[in-house]
Amino acid sequence: MRRKALTSTVVAGVMALAALLPAAAAQEKSRLDVVLERGELIVVTMSTAPPFAFTDDKGQLVGFDIDIVRLLAQALFKDPGKVEFVIVTAEGRWPAIESGRADLGVGGTTVYPDRALRVAFTRAFIDSGISILVSKKSGIKSLEDLNQEKYTVANLNNPQMAERAKRFFPKTKVLTFDTPSAQFLAVRSGRAHALQIDTPTADYFAAQSKDEFEVLPQLLTASQNNAIYLKPGDFKWWQWLDTAVAELRSGSWYPQYSEVYQKWFGKNPPPQKFYLQR
Amino acid sequence: MRYSAWFATYGPSYLDGLGWTALTALGASAGAILWGCALLLIRLAGGRGGARAVDAYVQLFRNTPVLLPIYLIYFGFPLIGLPWPAVVCGGLALVLQNGAYVSEILRGSFKAIDRVQFDAARSIGLSPWKTFRKVVLPQVLVYSIPALGNQVVLLLKDTSLLSAISVTELTMRAKLLTEQTGAAYEAFLVVAVLYLLLVSVTEVIFRTAHRAVRWSR
Repeated sequence: MRRKALTSTVVAGVMALAALLPAAAAQEKSRLDVVLERGELIVVTMSTAPPFAFTDDKGQLVGFDIDIVRLLAQALFKDPGKVEFVIVTAEGRWPAIESGRADLGVGGTTVYPDRALRVAFTRAFIDSGISILVSKKSGIKSLEDLNQEKYTVANLNNPQMAERAKRFFPKTKVLTFDTPSAQFLAVRSGRAHALQIDTPTADYFAAQSKDEFEVLPQLLTASQNNAIYLKPGDFKWWQWLDTAVAELRSGSWYPQYSEVYQKWFGKNPPPQKFYLQR
Repeated sequence: MRYSAWFATYGPSYLDGLGWTALTALGASAGAILWGCALLLIRLAGGRGGARAVDAYVQLFRNTPVLLPIYLIYFGFPLIGLPWPAVVCGGLALVLQNGAYVSEILRGSFKAIDRVQFDAARSIGLSPWKTFRKVVLPQVLVYSIPALGNQVVLLLKDTSLLSAISVTELTMRAKLLTEQTGAAYEAFLVVAVLYLLLVSVTEVIFRTAHRAVRWSR
């Protein structure tokens, strides 16, 4: 009797697991056509990465990346509101795209060549940089200060963070979290003395309480690109998105892009044409 | 996808996670059962006030998601000068919540004890504490074994929530491997199988224990 129950458990388990596996890829039509037919964009994002994508005091999902997506919806449907957001943690971004649950993803997502092996990226829509936020109490003034065994850094759970930690502060202890807000909470509560994150996010967190936190002047990367990511292999969809991003950064949508940039960063985006004086 | 190759590469990482999950579950289960017994004692010996306090406690923890105490303890304790490690904070949260459930399970079993036994205990001169320890507790625990087994299984699965506070247990391992390799399905399927394994072992232990005490009586 018991053996039978065990067998049925195993069978049920295997069936449940099999259902989770991605279905054999059939010849699908482009996401662009699917999106236009649906009349709504489905976008995967994080909700705790200010000022890119986060929840404001009223509980609304807002941010620079969110506004960029609204511009895409405006172009596709003439209505910036036609977007459904799917909120995930850091590592939940990739399966959400692989499984086709969402049409595209945004939210302070950095382009790395090894990431590009599994998801496709458009060209970058912002260069953000990676910075270190420290609690002022810790007395850390530079990356060299930070590189001591008595300090702890809060990372996000991706290998690039772990790699940078090894490169820039190998002696420092490391804690790993799945959202930027948990990283910040760790510094705030004294669990960690510092965290590494995209520079605008670090600046945003530091601005919450200038007496408690500051951002180190040194960057961990000279430049770093954040882009829209999507399922690879759909040329038509990628091409439309990439064209849209190109137009935003240095084309016909530059005014809209500048407006959104101003709104979230309080300054104009870097000029994209030599004749644009700023 | 070749799982043999996957295991050869990431096996140690999973084993480390499995160790943390098992350790946390074991520690927190023992803690929860002890804490549940203590709550039962307070309920029985603490008069009306004690029973009310335990009721309020049980209500509080039964009606809130366990992630809440996990966050509160992990991020809150350093603020009051107690920077305990993540695994201790998470374990404590699991003990506090599961202890509430365990005390309810034990209370149910307590009601199954024949009242005559208390008169008998008093007539041979057992103190209330001795009555609790020698008469009530052994019977209550034995009656409760199947339900406690269920509770331990639930607790074991809840240890996955500790991944939110940087404990590198199984779920955290899967998250890290997902980020590292992009192979979310493989990473989580292996973890699912490992959880299934842990739960099956737990079930066997409790079933064996149940059968053993049933025969001994």
